[in-house]
Amino acid sequence: MIDLAKFTKELSNCLEGGIVLVETSASKILEVHLEAVKWLSKQKYTQIILSTTRPCKNLLELYQKNNIDTDKLIILCTCCKEKNNTKQEKNNIIHIKNNSSLLEITFSLGECIKLIKAKKTIFIDSINTLLIHNEPNSLAKFIHSVLTKMRLNNVSGLLISLDLKMDKEIRAEIAQLCDRVIRV
Amino acid sequence: MRKLESSLNTVLKDKNVKSIMLELNTESYFETNIKTIKILQKKGFGGVVYVSIQRPFKNISSTLKKQRISIKNMLFIDVASAVSNEAREKYKECVHISPKLDVDELIKAIYASAEKIKGKKFIFIDSLTTFALYKPISETLRFTEFLMQLVKGEKNTVLILNVAKDLSQKKFIQNVIVHADKIIEVKT
Repeated sequence: MIDLAKFTKELSNCLEGGIVLVETSASKILEVHLEAVKWLSKQKYTQIILSTTRPCKNLLELYQKNNIDTDKLIILCTCCKEKNNTKQEKNNIIHIKNNSSLLEITFSLGECIKLIKAKKTIFIDSINTLLIHNEPNSLAKFIHSVLTKMRLNNVSGLLISLDLKMDKEIRAEIAQLCDRVIRV
Repeated sequence: MRKLESSLNTVLKDKNVKSIMLELNTESYFETNIKTIKILQKKGFGGVVYVSIQRPFKNISSTLKKQRISIKNMLFIDVASAVSNEAREKYKECVHISPKLDVDELIKAIYASAEKIKGKKFIFIDSLTTFALYKPISETLRFTEFLMQLVKGEKNTVLILNVAKDLSQKKFIQNVIVHADKIIEVKT
């Protein structure tokens, strides 16, 4: 179990207009994800969620079970392999070819930023999965580029990674670009 | 802050020290960047050429204003927006460069910006390792060597190079360290 009061307090202290790296363990990562989405939803953020590990269908079911309003969510799904399906289950899901399609992800995030006028946040879950599918240097450049886009458009951000599982150098490269690092 | 301030005070007493490398904690990287600027401005280094590799100008300038740091005597070279291919809005304090990040073009922009600022000033490179994501090591080293040579010939200019502590063991950073006049490990 995570210390929810502490976690949400830290988020409220630094998320407004800021970019936060959340480091957690494998056993807590889903709980952190759900609590973060729940909290962001309560704060009236429109959320753009990059899901690299869980298929969108599964994620939507989990949100519904946890009473999370899915109306103000857009999921960029890189892992359900439904990119080529003509029948898409919901308007708020964007299918990305795979976790290596960093250009496609950047483009889709950019489009979402442009389209959504309300207070918004980009939530990336997780850095580690992206690291499995991409070269560290390419991933660092991708994160730098996405974060620059977010800062230019006043978009808040949440990046999740597994602590102790990431290479020290790539972790440092990404952490130094964020406004705050939180360990849960 | 006091530790960083006292370290900078000690180092800057030596007039031969022109290039300083700061090794920063990743957890408080940008916060320390801001502290460094505050300390140096307090020490009379009113002018700043801020080479912004990590963050776009718009974000930095608003953060500095929130921190009550005047940007009147500062010029920013917005590398972050350039390498991310973002639109380049015009501001009088901001110098834009092309997205290909040509070292010679960047050097010219730094040199021209430094020329425009009168009095005591410093050139601030916010992250050498972020720069190295986009350029080969040889070009990164050429860039730092040029900057070190530039400040050596200038009475009123100091160079501040920032690097994350966890990345300072990288071989190319070690090469830069060898040529820098002083290294300060910032403890926060």
